[in-house]
Amino acid sequence: MDNFRKNNGIRRRILIVEDEAVNRDILGWILEEEYEVFYAENGQIAYDMIKEEEQTFSLILLDIMMPEMDGYTLLQLLKKDEKYKYIPVIVLTAEKNAEVKSIKLGAADFIKKPYDMPEVIMARCERIIELYEDQRIIRSTEKDTLTGLYAKNYFYEYIKQIEDIGAGEERDAIVINVEHFSLINELYGHDEGDNVLKDIAKILTDVFADIRTIICRFESDTFCIYCDHQEDYSGRLKSIQARLDELKGSNRIRIRVGINSNDRSEASVATRFDRAKSACDRVRGDYTHNMAYYSNDLLKQAIYNERLINEIEGAIHNGDFVVYYQPKYTISGDKPVLKSAEALIRWKHPEMGMISPGEFIPLFENNGLIQELDSYVWWRAAKQIREWKDKIGKAVPVSVNVSRIDIYNPELEEYLLGLLEKNKINADELMLEITESAYSENADRLLEVVNNLKAKGFKIEMDDFGSGYSSLNMLTAMPIDVLKMDMGFVKNVTKDEKSKRLVELIISIAKYLNLTVVAEGVEEQEQLDILRDMGCDVVQGFYFSKPLPPEEFEELLKKG
Amino acid sequence: MITIDDLNSFGANTEEGLARCMGKEALYLKLIPKAINDSNFEKLVESVEKGDMTASFEAAHALKGVMGNLSLTPLFDKSSEITELLRKKTDADYKSLTRELLEMRDKLKSLCD
Repeated sequence: MDNFRKNNGIRRRILIVEDEAVNRDILGWILEEEYEVFYAENGQIAYDMIKEEEQTFSLILLDIMMPEMDGYTLLQLLKKDEKYKYIPVIVLTAEKNAEVKSIKLGAADFIKKPYDMPEVIMARCERIIELYEDQRIIRSTEKDTLTGLYAKNYFYEYIKQIEDIGAGEERDAIVINVEHFSLINELYGHDEGDNVLKDIAKILTDVFADIRTIICRFESDTFCIYCDHQEDYSGRLKSIQARLDELKGSNRIRIRVGINSNDRSEASVATRFDRAKSACDRVRGDYTHNMAYYSNDLLKQAIYNERLINEIEGAIHNGDFVVYYQPKYTISGDKPVLKSAEALIRWKHPEMGMISPGEFIPLFENNGLIQELDSYVWWRAAKQIREWKDKIGKAVPVSVNVSRIDIYNPELEEYLLGLLEKNKINADELMLEITESAYSENADRLLEVVNNLKAKGFKIEMDDFGSGYSSLNMLTAMPIDVLKMDMGFVKNVTKDEKSKRLVELIISIAKYLNLTVVAEGVEEQEQLDILRDMGCDVVQGFYFSKPLPPEEFEELLKKG
Repeated sequence: MITIDDLNSFGANTEEGLARCMGKEALYLKLIPKAINDSNFEKLVESVEKGDMTASFEAAHALKGVMGNLSLTPLFDKSSEITELLRKKTDADYKSLTRELLEMRDKLKSLCD
């Protein structure tokens, strides 16, 4: 592949501009073995040739003193012409003054007279051609074609270079993102979107022009800036926003900014911008703040998260995950009776102590590890149901969580049935909670899976109903048995009339559809009374009990 | 046709001159008459006659380059001397200097015939 670029691959063209025939001939003989050589006796003839030839010259060897048009004049003509300015020119001179003047006019190198040995001349020509060809490739790829800003890979490489040369200086990594950019594209078309990006590139370049800066269009609507450390960016951000507000055409454009200020860690360039980006993501959709700094806290959070992710396998293996049971009371009778439970996971970390599920569940949901955790909980819960049956002689149905991602596991049904069989418990004793939001993603698949499970006798509970974009359609489409109202409803049921009526409505719809209604998060007597009056069947919450370890739950069971 | 021996007897550094022509004797020898017939000899005589220092410098400078490239040492040394004097616009007897240069050129020319 590479020999195409080497000298033998393509016969490049060299133009020798020199009025002395002897000098021309000597250079020509040296170069014509490797190159196609063209000759001109003065600057004017050379200029005409350059303009007429279809093919470009890879190099021009230029004498200074010539009749008609001298070397300086030709050099000037070429360097101010967009089309020819990148052709390298080696000036044939040994005069010090001529060298200085030529360099200022853009000469690439010199060959002195009397000439060096042929090998030296050859090597000089080769080197300059290679250098200019490489530069040309860099020029054509280093910038983003739309905005003229640096492309990502070059941006990182240039930063590495800057840091190698100027180590120890304080610099900042900044990520800028356009709020709702996809909307601009949707509403006004891609051309308008492109115009906005171009405008932003221009504005950023202007606003950072007074300090040492390099700017890159990272991807679609994300820009990265690397610049000398600044104590305060608020003035610059105001200028940017003011300029954005002046733009005509589309709606108001808002940007959000994440700054990783003078990161002295050993982190790679990419990581430093990742950190700036994580700061930037923190103010996504926040209309009161559009700038955030990456801090040690964020770093600690990231490291902490990473540690939790890495430790899940071991923790399952070591039994660090324990399952707690929150009592669920049936309130339809005269007095509340403990009849069932919800299994909730707890992480007892040997070093960090109790870790809240709020910390690790979202993390594991994001990367799919939640599947392992769910399976573990199902397995524990099934064993527990069996144990209580044996010890106390009571069947206590336990609800377990089925995450969105579990739905896609082709072995889900088989695994659950296996647990029932192993522990000799009934399908309706292991109740499956599916969160409302699972319905919105791939409803067909979900319905198929749930219908199958239902057919095997499992009870299906709709969890967190009312927390997201609830759909009444979902209530009829899904073969559910139980509706679990989101905690938010219970919280407000004593606070305002509207919420109270909404809860009443939900309960009556559920009743109408023959569903059991469970209220979560009940903390006060008043809430309990209202819910009972409305016909709610089951409640759980701190009013009765927090989630308990199995032994304590057992004690409660024994009391009846 | 002039030979390497002729050039050596003239005082040329033929080893260097040949190397510059990639050791190709025929090429090297072909260039000698071209150098001898370089129009800048005449230009130099004319401009010295007129007292045009700039034109004289340009002609001498060009000759210096050619003689240097062919390592015709006596001609190179003399044209260099004239060039440097003209560069500084030194008051010198350019006519006799030019005459000396032409005499050397003619000597080489006679070797070619």
